[in-house]
Amino acid sequence: MHRIRRSVALVICAAVLGPAAGFAAAKTIISLSGSTSVYPLAVALATKYNKLYDVGFRIFQGGSDIGVNDVAHGRVTIGDASRDPLPSDPSGLYWYKIARDAVCVITNPANPISNLSQAEVQSIFDGSVTNWANVPGAGVTGAIDLVSRTSASGTADAFKQIFLGQNLNISGTAVEKQSNGLVEQTVHADPNAIGYVSLDFIAGTYPVPYKGVACTLRNAKAGSYPGVRNFWMITRGRATGAAKKFILWVQHSSAANQIVGTNWIPLH
Amino acid sequence: MRIPRIRGERAERVLGAFSVALLGVIVALVVFVFGNAWPSFSHNGLAWFSSGGNVQTQLGNIYHSPSNPAHYVYTLHAWPLLYGTALSTGLAVICGLGLALLGAVFLVEFAPPLLKRLLRPSVRLLAGVPSVIYGLVGLLALAPLIDSNLVSPSFKLAVAPVVQITGTGLLLAVVILTLMVTPIMLALIADALESVPRSWIEGSAALGVNRWRTMWRISVHTIRPAIAAAVVLATARALGEAIMLSMVSGAYPFAPNPLDGLNFFLEPILTFASAIVQNADGLFSVTPFPQTIYAFAAVLLVSAGALSFAGWLVKQPLRRYGIR
Repeated sequence: MHRIRRSVALVICAAVLGPAAGFAAAKTIISLSGSTSVYPLAVALATKYNKLYDVGFRIFQGGSDIGVNDVAHGRVTIGDASRDPLPSDPSGLYWYKIARDAVCVITNPANPISNLSQAEVQSIFDGSVTNWANVPGAGVTGAIDLVSRTSASGTADAFKQIFLGQNLNISGTAVEKQSNGLVEQTVHADPNAIGYVSLDFIAGTYPVPYKGVACTLRNAKAGSYPGVRNFWMITRGRATGAAKKFILWVQHSSAANQIVGTNWIPLH
Repeated sequence: MRIPRIRGERAERVLGAFSVALLGVIVALVVFVFGNAWPSFSHNGLAWFSSGGNVQTQLGNIYHSPSNPAHYVYTLHAWPLLYGTALSTGLAVICGLGLALLGAVFLVEFAPPLLKRLLRPSVRLLAGVPSVIYGLVGLLALAPLIDSNLVSPSFKLAVAPVVQITGTGLLLAVVILTLMVTPIMLALIADALESVPRSWIEGSAALGVNRWRTMWRISVHTIRPAIAAAVVLATARALGEAIMLSMVSGAYPFAPNPLDGLNFFLEPILTFASAIVQNADGLFSVTPFPQTIYAFAAVLLVSAGALSFAGWLVKQPLRRYGIR
């Protein structure tokens, strides 16, 4: 009887593990997590790479800090970040620059401001100006609804670095959203709102020209739009194997370059 | 092959092991949550529950605190969260209780049979609707309505340096929470009303007491324990509601000010449960941040414990009269 039980247990084990083992052997899987700004680019690149080389991908999003942390703990193969490395980041990480991206200040289409200077962006986002009436060229009146991002966001970090500078902080009254898409949706729905997103998330909103330059892909590629930051892929230790092959393909192949060029700024 | 028969005492032992294991899980949960939350409470003392400063800024500082344990930042004054949780839960349960009681009395005692057959299943259906659907409707359909009809631009402008008024807030949170908890209470209270012995009601009618008065003095009085149970259940559900509330409550840690008159209801709140959801993307950060989030969970656990204790307490004087 014992023998019967043992053989049944073995069969069950084989049934559970068999397909998993077979699956793992058949296909390499690269997992990515991190920035919600990098996410659409990562998906586009992974889709193409999967077609070319039959490599599987699992892509999660949540914020740059999550990507940095996940890869540092070995939870994913590659972390995505839309901010530059910080001294507080875990050690032993290798950062590979994969593209550049424009950060747009966005308002509701009912409020097409013709231009914002850096001083104006600073005074709006640090909370010292709270009335649209005090912003020259505003199309609406009334209170300014600030839309920002939660702490884990790389876009928030990049926005602070590029637009606000070291000494200013985003006002504590700002409503914090967890992704680019939620900021986009909120600004789309509220005529009084102002926020900031990656260039890929401006649909349904009005991207405000910054320092006299429109936030468009063309201006960003030409180098005239000043609000540009880097996209990174991060590995724990130097990239090896499938991850290395993928990152090199992203950085150097013309196919990847073409995908980056659709909505982002290629490195070459 | 012989199938072993399970004897009585063996079954007893197995079931006993299961219930002890359940108790163990609860104890482990409490110990784990409180163990993790303790640094947040001990660094702040009673000031943890007080007001002062901007909670969102404080959480940001905790998130960005240096990785050197000697310089960890813990400062938090969580009063707005406590107040927001109590306010939304309390108001929703009070409104919901009134609606549910009246609805149940009508359903059981006064509704024509056809309507009764229609209403009962629809109440059950409503009680089972996943709350996130209410959240979605609230956020996309009701919040813009409130924003364009009830929010006065001058008030919005006047408070802009302190807080944003955007249509989502206390009012919408309470309305939708009420919508969520009323069907559960209604179903429970209606079931209890139906179990009141018919002879008691007929006896009252035979004494010449009218239907309405019989309803209040006999039926509703008899089912007080069931009402208490319904309130406890509804409060528990409202306390733990996270996703829906983070969609419709404004999700900004602000303590609505009663001095603002009716605008009080338009101001945003953040409850403990939705604060946990809102900050979930920062949980991997330096230790003080998850510990602070565990502290929110600890407060929720304590309130849940207090709630079931209160439910038991309310039933005590009733038990003396032989009502259960």
